Amino acid sequence: MATAPGPVSALQATLAAENAAVYGYGVAGAHLTGSSLAQAEQDWTAHNQARDTLTAMISARGAAPVAAQAYYQMPFRVHDAASAVRLAAYLEDGVTRAYLGLVAVNDQRLRRFGALAMQQAALRAAAWRGSTQAFPGLGGSVPAGPGEATRRSS
Amino acid sequence: MLFASAAALPLLLGTAGCRSSDAFTGPDPLAGRPPLGRDVLTLQAVIAAEENLIGLYQAAIRGGAGNGGAAGAGARTLQTLLSQHQQHLVQLKARLVVPPGASASPSPSASGTGGAAASPGPGRVDVARLRAAERASAAGLVQRLASVPPALAQLFASIAASDATHVTVLGG
Repeated sequence: MATAPGPVSALQATLAAENAAVYGYGVAGAHLTGSSLAQAEQDWTAHNQARDTLTAMISARGAAPVAAQAYYQMPFRVHDAASAVRLAAYLEDGVTRAYLGLVAVNDQRLRRFGALAMQQAALRAAAWRGSTQAFPGLGGSVPAGPGEATRRSS
Repeated sequence: MLFASAAALPLLLGTAGCRSSDAFTGPDPLAGRPPLGRDVLTLQAVIAAEENLIGLYQAAIRGGAGNGGAAGAGARTLQTLLSQHQQHLVQLKARLVVPPGASASPSPSASGTGGAAASPGPGRVDVARLRAAERASAAGLVQRLASVPPALAQLFASIAASDATHVTVLGG
């Protein structure tokens, strides 16, 4: 059966973000101790499970899941607990953005799946950052988009 | 004939033996305003829910620690969350194009479903009530994703995620 490219490419992008998060938490965890390390391990497990779920979803659509890279360039030098915590928040922001991409597809179940998954990532990001954001996944650049919802016949 | 006035158009069409609606394949421009689209109604309902949520926060902050209205969260925290809801409202309103002659206010039927936050109403607004409203808002926004275009769905999902983090901040 032919598969629409939109959902699969959005799923692949999300899987790539999860792969990066799995790797990144390994880097962060090496600099954490105590409750922070326990939290990182819990989040790492959540990302592993999400990776497996996404892999299965992509395979079920007849596509080959994107493979994890052997090495990921970190966005900044991670050398202590503070930078490890910043990395964890950074990783969760990336995952949140990726799931937001799923919300844009026309498949309603994928939209809902993406929206709920991004809530989990936003919660983890807020926990690492110690503060909430007005627009998780959209960052500071929220398109105004006037005319998005205009008058038309239902 | 190209310069016929709008007032003369029905007469001309009548002379030609056809109704105005026969001359166009789209909506009849002479039949009054067409109904609002489903996405517009949804957006209006979400705006109304966001306004209610802001009203709840304002009532909680007004209540202050003196009467225990906002006990447990801290005024500064509530101000931060309120500010984020005000940002949500700005973005939601920016997406709404109100048709000429139409009311900017949502109709009662548009705001009646989907987990909209309750109007503050009488009585004290405590943290538990804010938490429940945030949880309902997040769930309601996810429920409405199916009826809006992709970009608006992403805004709804982002706001829902923000609301979900608020639940945690409020002790949920």
